[in-house]
Amino acid sequence: MGDELERDLISNLPQSIIESILTCLPIGDAIRTSYLSRKWRYKWTTLTHLVFDEKCVTQCGDQALIGKGLINFITRALFLHQGPIHKFQVCTSYLQSCPDIDQWILFLSRNGIKELVLELGEDGEWFRVPSCLFNCEKLTRVDLFRCELDPPPSFKGFLCLKSLNLYQVLVAPDAIESLISSCPLLETLSLSYFDSLALNICAPNLKYLYLEGEFKDISLDNTPLLVDLSVALYMTDENAEHSEQSSNCNFLKFLGGIPRLERLIGHIYFTKYLSIGKDPGVLPITYNHLKIIELYQVSFEDMKETLVVLRLITNSPNLKELQLSGSSLTSVESPDLDFWEKEGASDCTFHKLKVVKMTDMSGLPHEMEFIRFLLRKSPVLEIMSITPCVFVTMEARLIIVTELLSFTRASPKAGLVFIQD
Amino acid sequence: MSEGVMAVVKPEMKSYIWLQTADGSIQQVEEEVAMFCPMICREILQTGMGSSKNYAISLPQRVNPAVLGLILDYCRFHQVPGRSNKERKTFDEKFIRMDTKKLCELTSAADSLQLKPLVDLTSRALARIIEGKTPEEIRETFHLPDDLTEEEKLEPLRNITDDPRIRLLNRLYARKRKELKDREKLKNVEVEEERVDQRSVDDLLTFINGGNGDSKGVKTNKNKKKNRRRKDPTKDSSNSVNGSHNKELEALSSTFQDESRPSSSSNLQDCASLEFDDGDVDDDLDPAMKEQLDREVEDFARRLNSDWPERMQEILSLGQERRLAPINMNGNGSARRYTSLDRR
Repeated sequence: MGDELERDLISNLPQSIIESILTCLPIGDAIRTSYLSRKWRYKWTTLTHLVFDEKCVTQCGDQALIGKGLINFITRALFLHQGPIHKFQVCTSYLQSCPDIDQWILFLSRNGIKELVLELGEDGEWFRVPSCLFNCEKLTRVDLFRCELDPPPSFKGFLCLKSLNLYQVLVAPDAIESLISSCPLLETLSLSYFDSLALNICAPNLKYLYLEGEFKDISLDNTPLLVDLSVALYMTDENAEHSEQSSNCNFLKFLGGIPRLERLIGHIYFTKYLSIGKDPGVLPITYNHLKIIELYQVSFEDMKETLVVLRLITNSPNLKELQLSGSSLTSVESPDLDFWEKEGASDCTFHKLKVVKMTDMSGLPHEMEFIRFLLRKSPVLEIMSITPCVFVTMEARLIIVTELLSFTRASPKAGLVFIQD
Repeated sequence: MSEGVMAVVKPEMKSYIWLQTADGSIQQVEEEVAMFCPMICREILQTGMGSSKNYAISLPQRVNPAVLGLILDYCRFHQVPGRSNKERKTFDEKFIRMDTKKLCELTSAADSLQLKPLVDLTSRALARIIEGKTPEEIRETFHLPDDLTEEEKLEPLRNITDDPRIRLLNRLYARKRKELKDREKLKNVEVEEERVDQRSVDDLLTFINGGNGDSKGVKTNKNKKKNRRRKDPTKDSSNSVNGSHNKELEALSSTFQDESRPSSSSNLQDCASLEFDDGDVDDDLDPAMKEQLDREVEDFARRLNSDWPERMQEILSLGQERRLAPINMNGNGSARRYTSLDRR
């Protein structure tokens, strides 16, 4: 007996180490260790991180069978578990909505759950999150994919919540707003694939914001600490019309209250959205910390959009990296080149700008003028790289390159790179 | 590293710290390397030890000289501030290549010195060793004793707690099963047309209690009752019998559950290290508990028909399955048994 104990290499390590070893294993392997020896029988049962996916069950071809097997597996594992559960994650396309999931969440709500990640399959009904979720007072992170969320009227908020990620979640718009504003510690917010959402975000501790979907109207009412913003806005025509008619300035509503911004990424219709409404004129805000700007699908032919971009970069004195991607529309109107004369004469300089990438360029007049403008105003520029749009013909590319070569560069180190695929 | 407390290090003269391992041997090591270990760092700052051979810092028992050498190599590399993440990662990957025994010792030692990055590194390495292996392979690698009983192996996750009474019950079942099987062979089979027994457990228990209190008496009673209650195996009442069996089993199982819950957490650690032998079983329980267990086992025995061994297995597993079935990954044994009983 004593000999066995001495030969055994691992069972006598402290429980905290055993748990960190078991946490590194896929949950199936971790539970399987109960089969090893008497001492190992229940070592896994106090794990606080439980991560499940369809790999936990045997892979036969049958979707329904895997789904059922997975439900059984998770239910039994929870039942055998002892002690608090801090993280619970189920990510699989094989599971649809079923009553067992409600019971899991009830169980978790009684065991001090802190991080909950639920990603279910696409077919069938979406899972309706039970009200017991709103009793989980210790939640710090919630990620829900393809669920239905309906906070009860008595819900006062998740007081510890730091990260909220809702992806394809059905929830009433005012419910989202009040959910966000009732979580005072919220730092990370991610909302994806919402339809026609009008949102006022009030989150005093918010640092990271990620939005993707069809948003009618967004205003960041109270997010002074925001550091990272990434937005992909889909706009239908009626949304655009609705915004046109309002007398607000979208730019200021969105970007007006975030002086600590360090990184800004805007996809699809972002600049178009910002361009709608009144022209903000001289901006009341300077983005002293903004170092990286990436804007995609910028339609340079639309003067208002170009203006938005200009306003942004001229109010970011510490900008280091700029990436702009054009939108391949052909020029319709005759470009107003006087505008560039005026801008060129202004005394703004990009003192810290080092890297500029212009992609999907079609050689439109405004695009070229913009590049000329940047080259003239960036004394420490190191790289200016230009990638033409795929539709641009070889002749057109030659014209672009010729024009580029003629631009004066303020920076002696500036390298001009024309990227051909 | 603290700058104010320790002496200024001149470029030619390095400062050394003296460390003593549990076996008594003392070695010296460069100060900045030693200070990388939180535990050593704290010792130096709080007690001022380690500056000379006579006042060497005593290291925890789990740190032997060989492992200390490895740990100091790790510290020596990582305490240099200028290294890139890639360099550190490459070093770690090479460093971690050693046999399993050394890896376990290293993990244990790093933990006692509170060197968390090294503990994480070794834990991940051990996890990689365990991942994907069969239980036999894992036992082989780590020299684990194969000390679960056959029954426990087939249903390894049957019990929520490691309560000795539940484990005892399992062993008793196995024993009774064997005894009854033996008796079957000895006695004649009395084929008696018996209707389904619909009485509740309580009735039956009081009936049993009407007999003697001690175990021997119970056994004799059981023999007689078993013959009376013997059913024809071909009788077509199995479904309803099973149905009522399940309810009874559930009731009994749940009473066990209630009894075992209060002591479960405190006993868990103790149970893990106790070894039970069939012979020792009786000694560890008080007589009243043992009686009750005997009665309940006997109850099962009486109410089953003649294909005792298989039916016992089924009932055991059914009763457990109601609450928790083994996770279906231990190979074909469990899966085969349960498909026929799947009542969902």
